[in-house]
Amino acid sequence: MGADVSDLSLVRRVQRGDKGAFDALVLKYQHKLVKLVMRYVRNPAEAEDIAQEAFIKAYRALPQFRGDSAFYTWLYRIAINTAKNAVVSRDRSPIEYNLDRSSDESYDMQGRMKDSETPEGLVLTDEIRSIVNGAIDALPEDLRTAIVLRELEGLSYEEIAATMDCPVGTVRSRIFRAREAIDLRLREVFEGGLGRAEELG
Amino acid sequence: MNEELESQLSAMFDDELSAAECELLARRLSRDEQLKARWGRYAVIGATIRAERGVRLHAALARKVNTAILAEPALGVSGAPQRALRSGLRWRQAVAGLAVAAGVAAVSVFWLRAEAPLAVAPLTAQLALPVQAFGTTQTAGTTVPARADSYVLPRAPASRPVVVPVTELANYVVAHSMVSSPVARRNLLSAFMTSDPGAAGTEEPLEVATSNAQ
Repeated sequence: MGADVSDLSLVRRVQRGDKGAFDALVLKYQHKLVKLVMRYVRNPAEAEDIAQEAFIKAYRALPQFRGDSAFYTWLYRIAINTAKNAVVSRDRSPIEYNLDRSSDESYDMQGRMKDSETPEGLVLTDEIRSIVNGAIDALPEDLRTAIVLRELEGLSYEEIAATMDCPVGTVRSRIFRAREAIDLRLREVFEGGLGRAEELG
Repeated sequence: MNEELESQLSAMFDDELSAAECELLARRLSRDEQLKARWGRYAVIGATIRAERGVRLHAALARKVNTAILAEPALGVSGAPQRALRSGLRWRQAVAGLAVAAGVAAVSVFWLRAEAPLAVAPLTAQLALPVQAFGTTQTAGTTVPARADSYVLPRAPASRPVVVPVTELANYVVAHSMVSSPVARRNLLSAFMTSDPGAAGTEEPLEVATSNAQ
């Protein structure tokens, strides 16, 4: 287990022509990639465009990926190069560059507006954060600890088992149950309409 | 969707599922939109816990990438497998080339040995005769060959290749004695006898020839 097995199984499917498997990789890494690109560009909308370009470049280059490194490491390098190139080409167009740099706060706000496109989008982002954090707070202690150690600290199941002094199977079960509890709350919101409004927007 | 499948999905998301199970689940994940949506929400949960910015349930990013990828040609037909096949063929060609070269070299060696047995055989015999008495060191009951002090024994004179057969040489001496003086004839004969005593002692025709001459 580990050693990028799950990503590799999806990558191999894409390499055999299964485009659906690439969706799973995008869904898994889109947030990480946007966060990474935002080290280079401060505008979330621009970061999203760059991340999109990086994903498409990765898809086209996937036949050359042999699995010598982890998929995310490989994707990471593509995203960094794409972001650097985007910054260079943006700096060559001074009108656009000078427009938004007057104040960091206003620049960031403008970016967020472009990112979400509608005020509902902004509400949704905050709404998701509030729902997830509320659901985590409502979790039993053992489930909360397991999911936080996994998602925030990035510990493996074995490390979590050692930390919590329980079998690995119990860790797997606790993390799954924690996710299910949070996911239930997210689905309620989504089915309530906010998600659909953002999707349409 | 059953609970075991969802539990496997959660473990796969954390890269904590076995390779075989991952293979099966990856196939299902790529086709099952409901499962994919759940997978996407797991990513949202993680991103929110890590306080990543711009987290959205149905991010426009994934949708845009999906649209762009649909317009791309599928990789399976002209992508990795063919490239892997090409690299595999290249590898096999290199191995076949090496095998042919090794075969030619081996045939050449055998042919040379068959053509010149006198020239090659003594050399190989000499190389195969390291003297253990002087060329080894004994350490804790084990014999370790010492490379720097190894010697090669000279072969026994009887096995040395004779360029001119002894009988021919004896006949020559006898024929020469017909025209030479008795003193010179005796000197030549004694020199011949001392130079190759083994041969002279065993070769019967030599004795016959010398007695005829006297």
